[in-house]
Amino acid sequence: MYAKNTKKALTAFILLIVLAMAITACGGKNNVNNGANTPTEKPDATADDGNTDTNGGDSALAQAMNGDFKGKKVTMFGPFTDADEVKFTESIKAFEEKTGIDIAYEGSKEFEATISVRVNGGNAPDIADFPQPGLLKGFVEAGKVVDVKSFLNDDYLKKQYNQSWLDMATMKGSSGDVMAGVWARSSVKSLVWYNKKAFADAGYTVPKTWAELMTLTDQIAKDGDPAWSIGIESGTATGWPATDWMEDIMLRTTTPENYDKWLTGELPFTDPIVKNAAEKMAEIWFNEDYVYGGRKSIATTSFGDAVKPLFDNPPKAWLHRQAGFITSFFPEGLTADDYDWFPLPAIDEQYGQPALISGDIYAMFNDRPEVRAVLEFFTTGESLKTWIQTGGVTAPMNDADASWYPNDQERRMAEFIKTADTIRFDGSDLMPGSVGAGTFWKGMTDWVSGTVDLDTALKEIQAGYKK
Amino acid sequence: MSKNKKIRKSKWLVNTVLAIICLIWTIPTLGLLVSSFRPAADILSTGWWNILPHRDWQTSEQLQLPKETDLREPIKVNGATYTDDQLRAGVEVNGERLIWENRRARLLNVQDKHWTIISSFTTQNYETVLGGKSYSITMPDGTTKTEKGSGMSRSFWNTIAVTVPATVIPIFIASFAAYAFAWLRFPGRKTLFVIVIALLVVPLQVALIPILRDYTSLGLNGTYFGIWLAHTAFGLPLITYFMYTSISQLPKDLFESAFMDGATNFTIFSKLILPLSVPALASISIFQFLWVWNDYLVSLIFLGSQPEVQVLSMNIANMVGSRGNDWHLLTAAAFVSMLMPLAVFFALQKYFVRGMLGGSIKG
Repeated sequence: MYAKNTKKALTAFILLIVLAMAITACGGKNNVNNGANTPTEKPDATADDGNTDTNGGDSALAQAMNGDFKGKKVTMFGPFTDADEVKFTESIKAFEEKTGIDIAYEGSKEFEATISVRVNGGNAPDIADFPQPGLLKGFVEAGKVVDVKSFLNDDYLKKQYNQSWLDMATMKGSSGDVMAGVWARSSVKSLVWYNKKAFADAGYTVPKTWAELMTLTDQIAKDGDPAWSIGIESGTATGWPATDWMEDIMLRTTTPENYDKWLTGELPFTDPIVKNAAEKMAEIWFNEDYVYGGRKSIATTSFGDAVKPLFDNPPKAWLHRQAGFITSFFPEGLTADDYDWFPLPAIDEQYGQPALISGDIYAMFNDRPEVRAVLEFFTTGESLKTWIQTGGVTAPMNDADASWYPNDQERRMAEFIKTADTIRFDGSDLMPGSVGAGTFWKGMTDWVSGTVDLDTALKEIQAGYKK
Repeated sequence: MSKNKKIRKSKWLVNTVLAIICLIWTIPTLGLLVSSFRPAADILSTGWWNILPHRDWQTSEQLQLPKETDLREPIKVNGATYTDDQLRAGVEVNGERLIWENRRARLLNVQDKHWTIISSFTTQNYETVLGGKSYSITMPDGTTKTEKGSGMSRSFWNTIAVTVPATVIPIFIASFAAYAFAWLRFPGRKTLFVIVIALLVVPLQVALIPILRDYTSLGLNGTYFGIWLAHTAFGLPLITYFMYTSISQLPKDLFESAFMDGATNFTIFSKLILPLSVPALASISIFQFLWVWNDYLVSLIFLGSQPEVQVLSMNIANMVGSRGNDWHLLTAAAFVSMLMPLAVFFALQKYFVRGMLGGSIKG
């Protein structure tokens, strides 16, 4: 009897599991059907839209505002998480409420690794946020990305963005050039941060030229402090702040054309032009009196912690070169009255005042009318408004109002991009991954930590192009 | 007598060595635990071991040097001269130490050693991790509102929803398979078994894209069922092999006599094999449970990090922020996520100790 009971119980258990599986499987299947139905319906709709577009000129965004895409879902995948994710969700909330489109954002710290798997596995998100245009290039070449120009006309794009932004978004596709995406948020990199109050108390003035900057650095050293606080540790990405410095100095010691050649590999790292820039950098970095903790501490200090000595009382260091996002690493309780920045000054006057920038480009993988509408929405400053007001982002769009920025510092960043003589994108983000996110980081770290000399380091970096 | 003493002595030695190894193994965890209760700024400035009583320099008085002192020349302090480098690193004179307080103001600290202990602890890390962070957002109309982020509770339940079936299903299937491989005679048994063993060496990374393609066409992406299936498939070879080694060790006579008494294969499996292999089942459950609980890659690819399905490992990784500015939360988050595996381990641990095999077959 007992045996029978156990047997029954076991059979019941198996049945239960099978049933549970069947139910979940069915649930899954339903999803498939939904998923499969929507795309099959879509192409017709897209075709219709295409017609209305050419005939009536009614844009996808206008249709969305009419509520035509109510209940549709647009998936988005990107690298920002946590606080940035909340700011993003808040920024698009009004749009979602008005149009009824649900933008499902998914953030992952492993974006770079995951996006390739997803796209190659046929599970591409509708829209993906690429912080490194170099990474997007591969997908554009493979013909996986929808050309933005197929539904947004030139005049509109020119109205929203400066030409340099549009140029940077144009990439070589499988058949001719395509507009690979739209720029959604940007960050200015050539900024030198300082402690506003302490700076004024010590009687220092903001340097306008490189010579003045070096004089100030020396003056601070004489007064008893190291001027600069530098840290390049960033886990597996250790070395990237050093590449930013290199790029900034390259822009100031050679022509923009040479800079562009450098990114494509035409101008090798072993060239005297690059070496000259590195030596310029070493004048500050390897002077034990100029750097907080000395050269040996640069490679072991986390880039986020490097800014903190500026705000000790009294300051342990005085200057810190980093992009605008560094404000989120400032010690808690700091207000906009406590800090300020000045642009890293020009070295050679003939190249003017350059600005190094970085930004996120939103690329579209699936062509559906509601995805078009969402992407078009991302070309408007409105899509970033809440984020701008909360702080930490500079808008690349022309229609973002200067009054939205929460403080003067951020407003000046937006102005700085507009007034700079040369604008160039962060080079390591444009170089092939094996260099820009590989040997460039590693070579700089080896050189800074003193493991290898400059020539060996530059050869090491250049070797990344052969990979 | 002397033999006994020897045994006792060697036992004592083994125990001491084991205790030392245990201590070394627990130190990093202990450090993590202490750090999880310390404020972020403190972690940056002092090591966790400073919570133990130790002798540290404390300033007893300050010396003001003349403002015009040139730091590049030897510096005169109380009749003796020092270099700037010495004063930066701190120079010891008669048990006292001279070190800059503020180089710019030419202010020197005179310090001596005192016993101290660090006692500033906070539960803030745990509160943030469990309750979620709060973000202040400026709305379009200029007002500021505070948005509360989600804590770990949701992803905790998600992880349980992933882990429990992903542990039970493969073990269930693998036990059946192991019994068949060990005790049933059927054509192709050896070949099949070799294939299963061979699958042990296939790295799961090579299967990601092909499986993802299949999942996309089946619509299994981002569903619990899909990830159960993935974990089951990736876990089966090892679990089958593990269960096989345990089941095949059972004495043949046991099954033969059961057969004589008219038991079917199913009865033998449920009445003899399962109870006899509880220790093996328990240990492989722990392995599989830990593997699935700590898994990041498989969930990242097949489940994604939408809040409805996000598992703990992904939640914790995202918690540090886009640029890692909230690294200090990792310590607390790690301990919260460790609770469940610890509970499972201690719950199943007694099965190892009991060793049900002992009495049952000798009789």
